[in-house]
Amino acid sequence: MSENNTINMYEKKAEEMTATHMITAEAVFEKTEGGFLSLEYDGKHYDRIKVVRLFPFSDANRYISVREHDGNSEIGIIEDLGQMSEKTQKLIEHQLNLCYFTPVISKIFKIKDEYGYAYFHVMTDKGECKFAINMGSNAVTKLSDTRLIINDVDENRFEIRDVDKLSMKERRMLDLFL
Amino acid sequence: MILRYELPQQARDKIKLTENERIYYAVPIDINDEGNWCSDSYLVVTTLKVYVISGDRIKSFEIKELKKATAQAGVGNGILVVDHNGTEMILANYSAKHLSRYAYVARGINILISGRFEEVESNEYEKICPKCGHVIPGTKECPHCSENGRFFGGFVRLVRTYKMDFLGVFMMMVVIAIMTLLSPEVQKRLINNVLKKDGEMKTAMLYLGIMFACSIGIVIMNVLKSNASARLGSKISSDLRLQLFEKYQKLPLSFINERRPGELLNRITEDTKYISGFMADIFCNLFAILFIFIWDVIFMLILNVKLALMTLILVPIVAVLMVRFQKTIGRIYHLQFKKNDDVASDLQDVLSGMRVVKSYGNEEAESSRFKHLSDGLSLIQKRNDRYWAFTDLVISALMGMGLVIVVYFGGRDVFGQKMSAGELYQFVAYTLLLFQYVGWLDRLPRDFSRLTSCLDRIYDILGQDVKEEDPKALTDLDIKGEITFDHATFGYKSYQPVLSDINAVIKPGEMIGIVGASGTGKSTLINLLMRLYETDDGRILVDGVDMKNISRNSYHSQLGVVLQETFLFSGTIIDNIRFSRPDATIDEIIRAAKLANAHDFVSKLPDGYNTYVGEKGYTLSGGERQRIAIARAILTDPKILILDEATASLDTESEFMIQTALDRLTNGKTTFAIAHRLSTLKNADRIMVIDGHSIAEIGTHSELLNNKGIYYNLFTAQTR
Repeated sequence: MSENNTINMYEKKAEEMTATHMITAEAVFEKTEGGFLSLEYDGKHYDRIKVVRLFPFSDANRYISVREHDGNSEIGIIEDLGQMSEKTQKLIEHQLNLCYFTPVISKIFKIKDEYGYAYFHVMTDKGECKFAINMGSNAVTKLSDTRLIINDVDENRFEIRDVDKLSMKERRMLDLFL
Repeated sequence: MILRYELPQQARDKIKLTENERIYYAVPIDINDEGNWCSDSYLVVTTLKVYVISGDRIKSFEIKELKKATAQAGVGNGILVVDHNGTEMILANYSAKHLSRYAYVARGINILISGRFEEVESNEYEKICPKCGHVIPGTKECPHCSENGRFFGGFVRLVRTYKMDFLGVFMMMVVIAIMTLLSPEVQKRLINNVLKKDGEMKTAMLYLGIMFACSIGIVIMNVLKSNASARLGSKISSDLRLQLFEKYQKLPLSFINERRPGELLNRITEDTKYISGFMADIFCNLFAILFIFIWDVIFMLILNVKLALMTLILVPIVAVLMVRFQKTIGRIYHLQFKKNDDVASDLQDVLSGMRVVKSYGNEEAESSRFKHLSDGLSLIQKRNDRYWAFTDLVISALMGMGLVIVVYFGGRDVFGQKMSAGELYQFVAYTLLLFQYVGWLDRLPRDFSRLTSCLDRIYDILGQDVKEEDPKALTDLDIKGEITFDHATFGYKSYQPVLSDINAVIKPGEMIGIVGASGTGKSTLINLLMRLYETDDGRILVDGVDMKNISRNSYHSQLGVVLQETFLFSGTIIDNIRFSRPDATIDEIIRAAKLANAHDFVSKLPDGYNTYVGEKGYTLSGGERQRIAIARAILTDPKILILDEATASLDTESEFMIQTALDRLTNGKTTFAIAHRLSTLKNADRIMVIDGHSIAEIGTHSELLNNKGIYYNLFTAQTR
């Protein structure tokens, strides 16, 4: 009898995993004392939740999976962050910033290559910074013809949204990596 | 890795250390609350408190109010979270640069929380030199800053080791240089003494003979020198390869794990290859060319100062242009290689996925994508070839111009009786020689720095301290088989603990089944038992003796291992069985093979025990390989036995054969068996369930079933 119960439990769990819940504006997100987010949704309270981008490159602010703190089970998906209240947007963006850090390069001041490493000095949306990449490895990933992800030696990620928007001079410096 | 940064005065003023308070760790926080880069924030851990300093603000937390600190890795960044009086709090947000740094700090905070005062130290290297900002190419010290790594450091060391060989090559180079410089002199005399004076046949023949001998001499010497220097190169690289290989085997696995596998492989293959290549192509000409270059200029100045200065003005122009061109050429050809790679990898993709492409009818889309890539490549190729041709033209034109200048002004001097025709000829020959090597000299610094960085990397490994075990502290132990885990904690990467706080006592002869989802640390536990790694914290005791104090030979000779995928070395079956005990007799080997149910299938092979197996040899099935591994284990008559999924991925019949062989093997020995299929653990005395980095449940089969925990769930799900 009890064995059957366990099996039913598993089946139920498996069934639950296939269901997709959409989180709408009714859900209430609150910032916790420690800097995390709590959630009031569907009559349930979650002390601490985790947010995950499902399409971090193509749709960073859409399809955000809200998961329980351990990351194992999904509470629901926010289809479009823009549709949520302003307060919620702020809270979630702040929370996403804690788990994702990909500065977007807006201007290239200088690229110097020296003995197999290239030293970048750039302006990003997170501020000015310098970093170095290993030219021997595949440090530059092309997401499309004009969009690049650059991994530096410290495993930081940088993004160039549109190569065509850079000036001729900047593009020439980048040429080596395209 | 630096865990205690020098704090700026402003930050230091903010922390008022009490008398018995001392700074343990101080690390930068490089992302602020808004998620932007910042440079004025620090996390400081002292004996009593954790401080978060950001600009003017400072927050502090008493260590005794904290419960646990964890460094959580995100995508491109991480956060340090502490449990402060039951509330989880984010203390710091940092970029990937500090990921492992914070993991060490978190571990350090946890040690302080537990009431101990040890300081955590990190053996990992900094990736970027904190002093000069250059990337450190995988060595301990920055080659730009440290004195012994500076530029020629590695090279000097190399020369010192192979003094005599280097001297030999050097002497040959000097001889070649002298002969090369001599031939224009002889030619001058031929022109002046013979051609201009209607000289005799005899003198002409004499000069021609000397010229001929010179050219022959140069060729012979060149061959000898190239040979000697190539031989020296391969001698050096094979010596280094051997030394590296020996070092790798001595280094702890944790060292190997801290590096990417390719990197270590590259030290042995690529770096040593570069060194022998450098010796063969570059070094062998190095001094000869430098010598020629210097004397060439001197001779030109002696012959005709005015003319020499005029020509030499062109040299810097040609040199600068060549450097420029070479840079651009390097850049555009790099681009071409990349595109070439793209095409090749796309082709590989499509070809290996052909079945999928065809079955979904996507041929056309794939074709057009390939065309796009291929067009891109051909465009660049065209452009590059055009550029190449152009630069070649410009350089040749400039050199030609130099010659025109020499011939014009030199010719006037000849007519003005200031210079003889032979001297002009000699001068032209020197000019040509000069231009020939200008481009070569420019390449030199780059090649040299590559060589030194190769050498630095190799010497870095060779200079690595291996924890030499003190033979006096080690004991040879006759193992009975009692194993105690005492707060054992371990992780492959500093920032990810795989096992934490494992406590258990295993009685001699007991069979322990290890169960758990993949990635929970079952194999890691076994790696610790095999002594491939050492615990970060805590101990593992064998018969009450700390494992670290048992000599490796003694321990490993009493340990038997059967893994999921058995690796057979290239060699015969008998070699492979004997691997565990090289002195085993044939009788013992056959007995072991019989016990392992391997004897019968081996007898059926045409070459019997002499069958060659391994990468290029006879292919044994998974079950057959497994039985050889069991025979290997039986041969040593181990006291401790480790079975890692030994029967997974086998068909039922061979599973039965192996199971009976295993039963014979495990009889009376302390055994640890990992299994996904619980049915294979029916003989286990106790089951250990690993979940969430630690032992979640441990007990007999029926105890655990009564417990209704993880094991119960697994069991019911599998026996459904």
